[in-house]
Amino acid sequence: MSTREIFDGRLEAALLLAPTLLVSVVFLYYPTALAFRTSLFDAGFGRAEEFVGLENYLTLLESSAYHRSVAISVLFAALVVVGTITVSLYLTFLIHEVDDGQGWYLISVIWPYALPPAVAALVFLFILHPTLGVLTGPIEAVGFDVDWFNDGPQAFLVVLLVAIWKQIGYNVIFMIAAMKDVPDALTETAELDGVGRLRRLVSVYVPIMTPTLFFLVIINTIYAFFGTFAFVDLLTSGGPANATNVLIFDLYREGFSFFNFGVASTKSVVLFLVVAVLMVIQFRLTEEYSYYGA
Amino acid sequence: MTTITLRNLRKEFDDVVAVNGVDLTVRDGEFLVVVGPSGCGKSTTLRLLAGLETATDGEIRMDDRDVTGTEPKERNVAMVFQNYALYPHMTGRRNITFGMNATDSFTDEEIDRRVAEAAETLDITDLLDRKPQAMSGGERQRVALGRAIVRDPDAFLMDEPLSNLDAKLRIQMRAELTRLHAELGTTTVYVTHDQTEAMTLGEWVVVMDDGEIQQVDPPQALYDFPENRFVAEFIGDPAMNMIDVAVEGGVAVHDAFRIPLPTGETGDGKAIENGTPAESFADPDAGNRRNAVLGVRPEDLHPARDRPDLGETTFDATVDVTEPLGDSLLVHCSVGDATFKMGAEPRSSLEPGETVSVTYDPERLHLFEPETGEAFYHSATAPVTSDRLERVAND
Repeated sequence: MSTREIFDGRLEAALLLAPTLLVSVVFLYYPTALAFRTSLFDAGFGRAEEFVGLENYLTLLESSAYHRSVAISVLFAALVVVGTITVSLYLTFLIHEVDDGQGWYLISVIWPYALPPAVAALVFLFILHPTLGVLTGPIEAVGFDVDWFNDGPQAFLVVLLVAIWKQIGYNVIFMIAAMKDVPDALTETAELDGVGRLRRLVSVYVPIMTPTLFFLVIINTIYAFFGTFAFVDLLTSGGPANATNVLIFDLYREGFSFFNFGVASTKSVVLFLVVAVLMVIQFRLTEEYSYYGA
Repeated sequence: MTTITLRNLRKEFDDVVAVNGVDLTVRDGEFLVVVGPSGCGKSTTLRLLAGLETATDGEIRMDDRDVTGTEPKERNVAMVFQNYALYPHMTGRRNITFGMNATDSFTDEEIDRRVAEAAETLDITDLLDRKPQAMSGGERQRVALGRAIVRDPDAFLMDEPLSNLDAKLRIQMRAELTRLHAELGTTTVYVTHDQTEAMTLGEWVVVMDDGEIQQVDPPQALYDFPENRFVAEFIGDPAMNMIDVAVEGGVAVHDAFRIPLPTGETGDGKAIENGTPAESFADPDAGNRRNAVLGVRPEDLHPARDRPDLGETTFDATVDVTEPLGDSLLVHCSVGDATFKMGAEPRSSLEPGETVSVTYDPERLHLFEPETGEAFYHSATAPVTSDRLERVAND
């Protein structure tokens, strides 16, 4: 099979590959290379580019504000990944267990995923706005002071909530497929043995679903670092007092508010490295704990 | 030790009736096999017993408990599945103990003791630390059996547990299951589509078709005295020959042959005296002549030259095809518009196209109603055992 050649001419193969290669080079590899190059320059609007070597990197290494941004991002990503996986897994389990109306529950859970991030952010702004929000009144009625325009941790929590909420649908789609793949006989054996529902989820389903969960951890990590820009931008703009200034927003501001293209490029290279290192660690760990069974 | 009673059990899936009014008693300590073709409702019946399906109507009792609506775990039954249903990420030991650990009703020492015992019984001690992936099919099924027996359930429910094994292993496991049952004496309901398995394993065999029980009998009685055409053709391989005949004055008449029907019994167990069969077969609408289907098993038909002892009545048939089976030669024949199969000596020199004189075992003739398929005559008389009478009375 592997040696079977479908196309005999090299020209044919090249032509078929060309669109993919073209798109990859123009929109992926060239910008990446350019970003790396720019990170070695002092560059900005209307200024002549000046080669500065690793100075931008040294600047970031010494910047405590940047360190804080890295810490916030990593914490944010960890919470998004754990929160999304946990909530999605439990929702998936509930949907999986229900006999009637599974389709409707699925649609309602997946729905948020169909919203553009900016719309999702605005929806939550209306729900949780400190003075106008629909839910603000009820929350304050139980004695909690909603003040996330001024309170850093609260702002972080709100962005986190939106980020998790938005990503649940995507996770559930994969998880429900994986959970349905668990042989019915295993569920039935567990039922006959009197194994409780939660125990069945944790000890039977989750181990069998590990390849899918592993995939979702990776996707959610990438999402947490790169896909949550709109929430930060529209809800908090990185504030208050940089409490939600995650790396992706920070580098955007560096580039397009302060027009320090050189430093912004450096930050994007660092972000790339941070995520790459995390991926490697995750691959190592999950490879060990993943079950790829028969 | 449990007696399981099913009363008028029904299960409908939307507009499909899977189990249609099943009445059955599985007696304490019995090995009962339920056999039937795919879709006959045998597995559904077992799943109803386990509580994995909810009955549409009817009653399931275990001893004096009505368990019809109870959860599977309340029933204290263990099930063995065709695909073993081992947790793929757990070792053999974890697979066996997982259920016991989850219920908190066993101490750790108790669990260890039971696992050791079960492992001893099934000879799986060296499989306990392996994961299912590293086990063969037979080993997996053994571990699955271990998981079932370790809980000491009131009943074992087995859903085609040997179907995924290769032929040799299946025969070995069959013997092992028989031994295990003799050792444990636990009430067992075993579902299979394989009639050989049913015959070899079951103390009693239930034949099901179309969601209904066709016959409940010990294996040999099932084979010798099928109550209807379905049972007659389902049990036995190759299947029983069915030839349309007319019955006149105690003789089965076909265009090409006439077979006198000896003393025997009617389908409902009444003996037919020699010399007076004509009245017994009488059809009220058609006088002394009635249409019937003559059933004869291939091994009860022989070339006349092989078995001169079977009497003088023979008829001529044409050989169509011969199939050497090793221990016998299966001969496909035709006589008039009818075709049938016949067992011959393994090294008989019968060639297609040849005319062969056929004789039959007069003790092994059956007649069935053409419309309903009910048996109304067996040329042999079934041994009446108290066991059989009791069961008929109960069910």
